[in-house]
Amino acid sequence: MMTGTYWRRRLLGFEFVTGFVLTGGMVALVLLSDVLFPDGGSAMDLTARLQPPGQSLAHILGTDPLGRDVLARVVVGGQVSLTVGVVSVLGAVIVGIAAGLIAGYYRGVWDIVLMRWADVQLALPFILIAITFAAILGADMWRLIAFMAIAQWVQYARVVRGAVLSLREREYVQSARSFGVGDLAILWRHILPNAIGPVIILMTLNVANNILLESSLTFLGLGIDPLTPSWGGMLADGRSYLQSAWWVGVFPGLAIMLTVLGLNLLGDWFRDVLDPTSQSGT
Amino acid sequence: MIGFLARRLAQAIFVIFVVTLLVAWAVRLSGDPAVMLAQGAGSVTAHDLENIRRGLGLDRPFSAQYLGFVSGMLHGDFGRSFMGGTSVALLIRQALPLTLLLAFVSLALSLLISIPLGIQAAVRRGRLADQLIRMLSLVGLSFPNFWLALMLVLVFSITLGWLPPSGADERAGLIMPAATLAVILTATNVRLVRGAMLDTLSAQYIMVARGKGLGERAVLYRHALRNCAIPLITYIGLQFGGLIGGVVVVERVFNWPGMGSLAFDAVAARDYPVLQAVVTILAAMIVLVNLATDVIYGLVDPRISRE
Amino acid sequence: MTGYLRAALIVAATMVAPTAGQAAGTLTVAQSQDPASWDPVDTFLISWGQLATNVFDGLVQRGPDMQLKPALATSWEMLDGDKRIRFKLRHDVTFQDGEPFNAAAVKFSMQRLLGPKGAKGPQQSNYTAIGSVEVIDDFTVDFMLSRPDPVLLTKLAGYGGVIVPPQYIAKVGDDGFAAHPIGTGPFKVTDYQPKVSATEEAYGGFWGSKAKLDRVVYRFIVEPDTQVAELQAGRVDIATNIPVALVPNIQKSADLRLDSITGPTVTVLRFNTAHGITENPDVRRAMIMAVDRDSIVKIILQGQAKTVTSFQSDLSFGFDPALKPVPFDPAGARALLKQAGVAPGTPVQLDFRGNDTTFREVAQAVASYLTAVGLKASVKPYEMNVFTNDIIPNGKTGEMFQFGWGGWTFDYDNTAYLMYHSGEHWNPYDKDTTLDGMLEQQRTMTDPSARLKKLQAIADYVAGHALELPMYNLNTIYGVNKRVQNFVPPADNRLRLNDVTVD
Repeated sequence: MMTGTYWRRRLLGFEFVTGFVLTGGMVALVLLSDVLFPDGGSAMDLTARLQPPGQSLAHILGTDPLGRDVLARVVVGGQVSLTVGVVSVLGAVIVGIAAGLIAGYYRGVWDIVLMRWADVQLALPFILIAITFAAILGADMWRLIAFMAIAQWVQYARVVRGAVLSLREREYVQSARSFGVGDLAILWRHILPNAIGPVIILMTLNVANNILLESSLTFLGLGIDPLTPSWGGMLADGRSYLQSAWWVGVFPGLAIMLTVLGLNLLGDWFRDVLDPTSQSGT
Repeated sequence: MIGFLARRLAQAIFVIFVVTLLVAWAVRLSGDPAVMLAQGAGSVTAHDLENIRRGLGLDRPFSAQYLGFVSGMLHGDFGRSFMGGTSVALLIRQALPLTLLLAFVSLALSLLISIPLGIQAAVRRGRLADQLIRMLSLVGLSFPNFWLALMLVLVFSITLGWLPPSGADERAGLIMPAATLAVILTATNVRLVRGAMLDTLSAQYIMVARGKGLGERAVLYRHALRNCAIPLITYIGLQFGGLIGGVVVVERVFNWPGMGSLAFDAVAARDYPVLQAVVTILAAMIVLVNLATDVIYGLVDPRISRE
Repeated sequence: MTGYLRAALIVAATMVAPTAGQAAGTLTVAQSQDPASWDPVDTFLISWGQLATNVFDGLVQRGPDMQLKPALATSWEMLDGDKRIRFKLRHDVTFQDGEPFNAAAVKFSMQRLLGPKGAKGPQQSNYTAIGSVEVIDDFTVDFMLSRPDPVLLTKLAGYGGVIVPPQYIAKVGDDGFAAHPIGTGPFKVTDYQPKVSATEEAYGGFWGSKAKLDRVVYRFIVEPDTQVAELQAGRVDIATNIPVALVPNIQKSADLRLDSITGPTVTVLRFNTAHGITENPDVRRAMIMAVDRDSIVKIILQGQAKTVTSFQSDLSFGFDPALKPVPFDPAGARALLKQAGVAPGTPVQLDFRGNDTTFREVAQAVASYLTAVGLKASVKPYEMNVFTNDIIPNGKTGEMFQFGWGGWTFDYDNTAYLMYHSGEHWNPYDKDTTLDGMLEQQRTMTDPSARLKKLQAIADYVAGHALELPMYNLNTIYGVNKRVQNFVPPADNRLRLNDVTVD
């Protein structure tokens, strides 16, 4: 089944190509950002404040309220935004899957303790935790990542637990157990691959969500320092210029959109690869 | 069933208790309400702040303050806000219905759109309809909520003059905040429904159902949808929890005075009575929603035992 | 079919059309904060002044030019060698519930301010120069001063000095008064929904020029973008919280005008004079020279502010027009830093309030200027409560920190004493005995011209020692619908709307 043509069709499919190009392109640009823009987009020029895009070659995408080049800041800003988006989700997923598997498979005390702790976390007001984190740990990117991961593992845990609850009763799981197959093997080989579908969707959704969450936090005054460019920060700082200088916020927004698009296409592709019963190709 | 509910209720009370204790502790870790009340003041000395704190009952030890709060809640007395002495019960009575209204309408709107769209995308997988639906959902997903809100206001209030830019006193004021929230909810749910439908459509028993000669519609809605209900229901539960306490940004932009901004303002001002009461109510609701989700699991998939 | 369609359209239109918030004679004002309590002794919030100045009067009041005028007192004189102020009270004034205004009401209000109720609030400590109040007759009252206070008369125009109704408070209690206030002003509060809106209606029995409007509705709208949107949509007549970034939106609109006047708040960057490289006055002077304050005001603040040379606006008593600003001189700054032994790339940190959108831009500009002279400048946002409660008073700031001060008395004493005198709550770093002496001395001077000279000397001393980087005095910017007439924007945010009309 996994012949050469199978893989060729998969890798040349629309999803993979577009997803890879977009995501790969973004990541490459961001990785090269220090080389492309050595000053980090921080060169301020008050005489060139709020220039519209296309007005000068030095500032193809225009300038922001402090006269800084929007293109440079968008590219450099990807460093923070991609790191925040990806690392926070990875952290949450690892903890969440583990918790969800344990709670759903073993039930009993584990289920009660983990799920009630999840309830406690869900009921804690997000803003209070954000403010307390910021007050005690300072306002930097890693604090933000830790906070998001801690706040979000619960989603994955609950989704995985839900899947595990129905999967563990299936015939093939019951028969594997009666054959004496160990729990870990069952979890890894039978349950996890089937529970992971919604998790992958959530992961790609949450990367977008977290990049935007950084924006909301900046909107509320709880974000990272404004000198460090980030897509979310630029969006929030640009909101008052929606009517008078749209490019300040629209271009970082476009960067987010393209990245999210790419990641989601890759995520869909990955889901398809994992799913042995789906039709090949797109 | 009774035993199950009784056990879960006991756990729920415990959870709510833990949440309120944690919040009461966490909010006192930083900042000071007296500073907020003395804002703008001329000669505020340490002595003045002490006076203000004593007036608010903050010179008592933490245990006394917390127990005072708990006993008050049990008697139905929600206390008075530090900012001006407004009755907390009044503030919650104003904010809670607005929050519930917005949450239900946004969620309902998103489900009405996302379930059919998600099913269509799954059924026509790989074809134009699927691509289009997925692209649209990605656009909706990557749009920052406050930008969408501000753009809606620019178009529908300022340019066209059809809708009020903000406020909850007119019925039409619900439209834009609900639409803003529904966009991101729909985008998420479309993808979830599509993914879950794809999983189930290829499963064995669907082929059996088709083989039985059941109409396509029956196959879709009666069998397939039931089985992708689990992840969807889980996520709807999570979304609802987020909607009742966490939509501060949308509430602020549209000036929709709900529980989210009530909680946010209370944290910023370190208004302990308001915050503690709001958190208690939100915790109770979220715990109930999670309980309901678990009960529904059992109803949708009878194979899931309760414990 | 067409009839049906038309009917449906009409129904739809009436459902979604903006409701008539602008009925003839109603003014709608948007403000960002609900002060939550109408009680004048509870608060110092600017938002209280915007709402409640229509409702209450004090013995004296300030006109738009910030000069003192008679209000509930028609005249006053100092007696007994300045230890006693005698006020002659206005006749035929009634509170909005019909209760008569007289000396007993004045005595009640002052005792309430200075007593246990006032002790729970931030107003009391400004009025402690008042030892006791004596009723001479129904319309004459004496204030016995326990110590000289040259600013007391000005302070009596403030919140704490307003006169409240004794019989009404005796009947409904403090809580009832805080929720349903009664005063002697031109408007009476008729509806109040916490966090949503407050409605005031014209009071026909007002002693002065009666209100020309029927009603003023205040809507509490937190976000400035939303206030401006409401203004642009014609649903709000005056928006009071316009940040500089939104000014172009108003200028572009044909129905709106910008009323921008000198504001009460002055923003400076205060230095950490106790630790690090900023302990050295030369380093501080260099940092001041490095920042182009004029460009910041002209470009980032779009001219909606004025540069300042000391921690006061030009309307303040104590302002010295002869004090020259430190010139913008990056080369000189570099030289001075080198001379002070500061190596290039030395980090400096600027702390500021994270939710201040305008200052976010200013802070970044300042950091950029400092970086241009060789320092490695960074900015750090803090949550407001933590900043004001912990970071500043406990001296945990970086090399510089943002400080905004609304000198509500428009008298330099109120600012200078609290900022520079050692041991004061807002002064975590400075300990200068010479300065302390000057500050204490001017508090005892009752001769205005001598006190003026002293205050100017203080400002000069502060500038000479570079204790702060004076930044700007931001205008108060009102967005106003052109249908509003006779609106005179006040410099102290206290809206008194009895002369305003709407077309």
